[in-house]
Amino acid sequence: MAHVLFGVACLVTAVWVFVDVLNFSETNLGRIRKLTCAAAIFMWLAFLIGGYWYVTAYHADKAIILKGPWPFAHNFFMETKEHLVLILLMLATYLPITAASNLSASRDARRVVLWVAGLVAVLALMMEGEGAIIAMGVKVGLLSR
Amino acid sequence: MENTGVSKYTISFGLSLALASVANGLLVVAKEKIPAVLAGMQKLTGHHWISHCAIILGLFAFFGWLFARPHSGRGINLTVHRLLGVLVSGVVAGSLLILGFYLIGE
Repeated sequence: MAHVLFGVACLVTAVWVFVDVLNFSETNLGRIRKLTCAAAIFMWLAFLIGGYWYVTAYHADKAIILKGPWPFAHNFFMETKEHLVLILLMLATYLPITAASNLSASRDARRVVLWVAGLVAVLALMMEGEGAIIAMGVKVGLLSR
Repeated sequence: MENTGVSKYTISFGLSLALASVANGLLVVAKEKIPAVLAGMQKLTGHHWISHCAIILGLFAFFGWLFARPHSGRGINLTVHRLLGVLVSGVVAGSLLILGFYLIGE
């Protein structure tokens, strides 16, 4: 699914930003700024595609999950994912804002980018894991019919 | 205290993000515990989740803009150490509110 693809792209880009900022030099400043914008765009695409699917099609999957042996795939994992993703979306949107500071002159400005990129990576990884459990919930629900 | 090399929007949107993260968690609890809130959000856009997203993203954008206004448009003065403390605390608190609620609260 495109939703998962863009989510993974956001995760990989955030890790790339993290590593680039750890090894900061004038030569990678331009790349860092472009990558932070890319991470935000990937996250917005993942959010919009996933959100559209959630609103229009998820109800069928939800019914399968709740009737199957893994109801927690919806009751816990989907319920938390649909709300935690907003924090991830805001962090990814915030990332290019942090990279617009004077990273060359300020170690503090680089620290902010590092923290935000790290939080984006951790939360994106968590979303991927939750998504996998939700998909498994549908699969075991269908297998148990 | 001074903004050590970070832009005013880094400070303002960082604070706004912390605030919106906690508001996100509180709105989840309110929505799940008070049927009138859920019904109102459902009515607002046709789907409670779309309303939820609009409210939280609206808060993030509004407070990010608002917190950049003080001191004749120079924004709030805050050390990076303090900003990171508030930001990480807000994100962790908002996340724990949601995880804790669905784990034990419901």
